[in-house]
Amino acid sequence: MIDVSNVRAGYGDGADILNGISLHAAGGEIVTILGPNGCGKSTLLKCIAGFLAPRAGTVAIDGEDVGAVPVHRKVRGYGVGFVPQTDNVFATLSVSENIRLGARHLPRAEREGRFDALMRQYPTLAAKQNRKASALSGGERQILSLVRALIAGPKILLLDEPSAGLSPLMMHEVFDAIAGIRDDTGMCIVMVEQNAFEALGIADRAYVLTLGTVAMEGRARDLLADPSMRELYLGGSVAG
Amino acid sequence: MFEFLIHVSTMACLFGLLALSLNLQVGFAGLVNFGHIALFGCGTYGAAIAFANQWGPVAGLLLGGAAAALLALAFARLGRNLGADYWGIATLSIAEILRTFATNEQWLTGGAQGIHGLPMLFGSLPAPWGPLATLGLCAVLLAVCWALCQRLVNGRYGLALKLLREEPQLASSLGYDLAALRRTPLVISGLIAAVAGFLFAHYTTFVGPDQLYSAETFLIWSMLIVGGLGNNLGAVAGAFLMQFLLAYVPFVKDALGLPSEFVAAMRLTLVGGGLLAFLLWRTQGLIPERIGGRHA
Ligand SMILES: Nc1ncnc2c1ncn2[C@@H]1O[C@H](COP(=O)(O)OP(=O)(O)O)[C@@H](O)[C@H]1O
Ligand SMILES: [Mg+2]
Repeated sequence: MIDVSNVRAGYGDGADILNGISLHAAGGEIVTILGPNGCGKSTLLKCIAGFLAPRAGTVAIDGEDVGAVPVHRKVRGYGVGFVPQTDNVFATLSVSENIRLGARHLPRAEREGRFDALMRQYPTLAAKQNRKASALSGGERQILSLVRALIAGPKILLLDEPSAGLSPLMMHEVFDAIAGIRDDTGMCIVMVEQNAFEALGIADRAYVLTLGTVAMEGRARDLLADPSMRELYLGGSVAG
Repeated sequence: MFEFLIHVSTMACLFGLLALSLNLQVGFAGLVNFGHIALFGCGTYGAAIAFANQWGPVAGLLLGGAAAALLALAFARLGRNLGADYWGIATLSIAEILRTFATNEQWLTGGAQGIHGLPMLFGSLPAPWGPLATLGLCAVLLAVCWALCQRLVNGRYGLALKLLREEPQLASSLGYDLAALRRTPLVISGLIAAVAGFLFAHYTTFVGPDQLYSAETFLIWSMLIVGGLGNNLGAVAGAFLMQFLLAYVPFVKDALGLPSEFVAAMRLTLVGGGLLAFLLWRTQGLIPERIGGRHA
């Protein structure tokens, strides 16, 4: 579904942050992107989403080169849902207003139908739908931003560190929700994560980045068992 | 005294238009424009150049409007490549370049002397009625532009602008086209400023580069901040308040027997000091921004 090949990218006229990265993600799987802070995980996700056009290489969705398609058109025309790493809710709007924004381009009846279905599916969020988003806990905000992406009915979901800043309990709640989305909808989910082992727990495949290149890739199960992963994440060096 | 009151009210209406138009950019679209006076200048010079070439005032209005729309599009274009703070500096530089251009291109703009002798809009009417009719026209246009701005910033478009201001990255990930969202308020803002410039040119009957100093932009900014950024009524209220305050500074001078340098110094002090006080104590201005009927 998503094919990234040999992508180089960077900001403004700065140096390349991504130095030739290739990645593939199919429908019905969670692909997680791991790696140390500042190695370019968010940059890669932004490149797929269309915030950033690749300097070289291609980003393709269903075989079509979409490297130059800006994010607002990817969201409306290519079924891409993107949840940024931080600031992913509109704090001054209510929960329900936040959610409906995700489907504002849909006809009213369809939007309300999906809204009601999602509210049944996420009852804890439904209970707080008239609160301001600023009044939600970190975990609730993550769920809110997920639901807001879901209401548009995306084929592809790009998540940047959905567990950032969450307690272990909430992190599991969010990860369960993400795994549930994959199982229920068969979406293609690409998820950047800091919490490598927990992310590998729900992911199907993973890519480990170091300094803008893919250092390791494989099935999540295999990486979990890989001793060099343990070294990398439990006191090992970045060079791995 | 009556004439003076009409004069101050007319100027307040014109500055009200400018404050409304700047508010559209700063208060609603989050565009920190320090070169706003250049859009006004498009209006004044449109009127003056049409007059100098005997094209008539309608052509002047169209010329000014077209120039302001183009300049606004150029500002918007710049904004695609620059961060908000750099964009502010860039607009300031462009305004200064245009002022320098107006000062030096004698053949087109009359140079530093400017262009004199534009006709008053209701010049044929007898004494109190001409200025009164001008005031009436300015007031009606102010009301119309206010209604236009209200329409623009309430409802879906206003919400989009607010989201753009709050979380630009998130807004674009929800399918909002940021470039287009910024372009529209900029162009409308430019057109309103050009209308104000056109009226101003025909009111003072003189157009010159000295009317386009950046200090004027900051005066409009101070009106906005005093009135409350992001509130159309506040922008107009701030413009009236500042305009009346500044108009009565000379009377204070006379009453206290102060030297006349005091007037210029006092105007600057009022603008600067007032701004500072408001920024420190009332960050929301006189009338705070409202979103969806609630105070944000
Ligand atoms: N908007 C930006 N402009 C310039 N450089 C950036 C920007 N965002 C990130 N970077 C730089 O790109 C590199 C990779 O950042 P990022 O992709 O956010 O890393 P990660 O998500 O893996 O922590 C870092 O060196 C960071 O400083
Ligand atoms: Mg990141």
